[in-house]
Amino acid sequence: MTQRYHNPFAGVDLVVPIEQRDAYNRYCQSGGRAVIDHSPFPRMVDFWFTAMCIAARKQLKSEDLSNRETFKFNEGSIFDRDSWRVQAIMLVAIAVTGSVEIVGAPRRMVSIANGLAAAGEPYLLEMLEDDDQEAIWNLSDAIETLLRDHHSNI
Amino acid sequence: MRLIRAEFENFRLLRQLCLDFAINSEQKLTVIRAENESGKTTILNALQWALYGDDALPDKGRDYRLHPIDWDVSEGNRVPISVQVDFEVTGLRRSTKGLIENKRQYRIIRSTYETLDGVKWERSPSTIKLFHITDTGSSPIDPPEAVIHEELPPELREVFFTDGDRALSFIESTVSVSTKRDRVQKAIRSLLGLGVIEDALKHVKKTASEVNKAAKEIGANEKLTKIATKLEQLDAGWTELEEKIEDAKEQFSAFDEKLADIQKQIDNALIKGDREKLKKDIEHTNNQIKQIDAQLKAASKEHSELFKSLSLARDLLEPVLEKGLSELTKLHNQGKIPNTTIPVLEERLNSTVCICGESLDPDDDEAMRRREYIQNLIDESRKADALQSTITDLYYGSRSLQADQIPDDERWIRLYAKIVERRDDLGIVREDLAKKLKSLESQLDEIPDTDIQGLRDTKKRYQAQRDRFHANLTQYQTKFEVVKQERENLVAKRDNLLREQKKGERILAELEVTQDIEHVLRNSYERITSEELSKVSVLMNDIFLEMIGADPEQGAIIQKAEINQNFDIVVYGPNDRTLNPDRDLNGASRRALTLSFILALTKVSEVEAPNVIDTPLGMMSGFVKTSVLKTAIRESSQLILFLTRSEITDCEEILDVEAGRVITLTNPAHYPQMLANDPGVGLRTVIRCECNHRQECRSCQRLVDSVAQMNMAL
Repeated sequence: MTQRYHNPFAGVDLVVPIEQRDAYNRYCQSGGRAVIDHSPFPRMVDFWFTAMCIAARKQLKSEDLSNRETFKFNEGSIFDRDSWRVQAIMLVAIAVTGSVEIVGAPRRMVSIANGLAAAGEPYLLEMLEDDDQEAIWNLSDAIETLLRDHHSNI
Repeated sequence: MRLIRAEFENFRLLRQLCLDFAINSEQKLTVIRAENESGKTTILNALQWALYGDDALPDKGRDYRLHPIDWDVSEGNRVPISVQVDFEVTGLRRSTKGLIENKRQYRIIRSTYETLDGVKWERSPSTIKLFHITDTGSSPIDPPEAVIHEELPPELREVFFTDGDRALSFIESTVSVSTKRDRVQKAIRSLLGLGVIEDALKHVKKTASEVNKAAKEIGANEKLTKIATKLEQLDAGWTELEEKIEDAKEQFSAFDEKLADIQKQIDNALIKGDREKLKKDIEHTNNQIKQIDAQLKAASKEHSELFKSLSLARDLLEPVLEKGLSELTKLHNQGKIPNTTIPVLEERLNSTVCICGESLDPDDDEAMRRREYIQNLIDESRKADALQSTITDLYYGSRSLQADQIPDDERWIRLYAKIVERRDDLGIVREDLAKKLKSLESQLDEIPDTDIQGLRDTKKRYQAQRDRFHANLTQYQTKFEVVKQERENLVAKRDNLLREQKKGERILAELEVTQDIEHVLRNSYERITSEELSKVSVLMNDIFLEMIGADPEQGAIIQKAEINQNFDIVVYGPNDRTLNPDRDLNGASRRALTLSFILALTKVSEVEAPNVIDTPLGMMSGFVKTSVLKTAIRESSQLILFLTRSEITDCEEILDVEAGRVITLTNPAHYPQMLANDPGVGLRTVIRCECNHRQECRSCQRLVDSVAQMNMAL
């Protein structure tokens, strides 16, 4: 998709709590894991984004990471190629704060997204591990169940 | 003769095995239950080796190892091999009180050593000992062969010890007509004891030659001397020619059989699979597996891509996005978000047609009015602040995130379902290919490293040698006819000259006596052969027709089987049309015919001897199978059958009644592919258990066929 929009998150850090770092390494192929079925996420940003989506869907509270040790795995510039992620983060931020003015505060939006990803990570881990199949199948089945709860007609 | 017991030591797979046979005349059947590769053929060979020596081994024992192939040289490189057979002979003696049955028991022990040197081995000449066993002990008999040859003539070895497949050579087209004929003829003549008449004929011929010599020595007539001398030379040549003819016949038959054997080896190798073709199939399957693996990898990657997809974000966030979008919609409805955007409007101005279809042509007044309106909108939009611009962009740009805009087949669940289906389908194909590969590799492993081309070359050589002996035979037979004719003429001339001599009268009388005796012997020989042949033929036909009985597949076709005067076994169909046993008879009927011939021959000869038959019921089922079994039991004086479990199927009730002894043999190497339990024997050997045809124990219990086949395939 052509980047028609300015990416407001370009210089903003994407971070996760340090204690979640292992999970990112384990389940992301970019962490050096070659077996796709054991490490279903192509990149760390995909893990992060999915964790954020799950937290948002579950209406979890965005965690405040300002006083926690974190590690930066990437910057917002990674969204240059995926403008829909920028829009999704904005819409989530609007939904969480209930105010459209939030779109004028990119750092705040990313902070909300980072906090949501941190909150969603334990659920995502549970989905990845809570069965005796390989991680990709555990996760797929769990997501399918989660979505079917909402789209029972599909 | 009846076999009582046999013991084997280090004879190939038979490291230490003892078999005892049923000798009860009420239950004269012994069943040795054994699957393929469980020592059946080895036992058959071992028994024959004990009785007849190396000549009875395949290829007369040349390159035929006797010691166990996995012999541990740490136990010594000189392997003792022996086979001991106890047998009983029943004789009838005339006495004033009538015929008295006289039973004698013998023990024959044949032993040898094989010395191992790496992969090479050397066999010492075997020694044979025969003992007469009595209640009080045993006494040696020398020479042992005299008793053996009397009771079980070597020529009939294959009649008494029958390999179900090999016996088919009496009728199969794999050997030439003359070889089959020769085998049938020899079998019949040997069993009927015609060797005595043959010896008498030779003796009479020799006597006639000596009388002829006396005629030469009269010396009264130069012409007579000349003719007698010529006859003497002819007689010498006659015997030589007869020997040459016999030798050529034997050589021809030997190469004919070798040819049949090698053809079988080629056929077997080809049946099991062409090695080169299998290798190509394996390579092809490996390539297919590589392709499927690549597709699986791509599918797996595609699966992984689902976790970075818009569809996942959209569907997971659907309730959240609805909320955010509704905030934007509120703004839009309040007029705070323009209905269009600058780039879209600018794009329209560059065009001559509006999005609604109206003209925007600058030369048209009405169109110019529209253009001005659009330009105003652009100017208004530009006036909006940066925040509004962002919100505007978000409102219009986030349509791809609105779930109600998305067709169902782009939903994550649908996309995931497609991936699952694809991965599953590919997984099934991959599994099938893996099974196929293992099966092909297992087939390849089973194929002996046969050099088919080498076998074909050998076949060509054998064919050439066989044809050469055939040419020799024809040449000698032609020569023999010439000599015969010449001899008859000379004999007539000599006899006339003798009549003219006084001294010749006595010689002539002697010659006439020898000629008469020869005539009588020859007629007897032909007559016995013909009469007994006819008896064997009739009985064979009776047994055969009974065996195949009401077989719906063959009953209507086969009318009769006979051995004709040329010693050919011929089968007739309707209207006396001859049937080709190879082509027109099924496998069961071919075996039944061969067994009928063997049983008829044994019966007509009135020789009491065991019939030891390996795999007699192979390729048979239903009525023919049970009928063959019942008839064979009835017609034999002692019957020892090597049967596989599939041969036993449907015959259990007959065996319940008729079998006096049932022994099960197992090859431990069949674990785990075919045997259910680990017999705990690390060596290649055959173990025996007492299970009968209905029983199974820990050591002989086999996996059901389907599991065993799957194991073999894997």
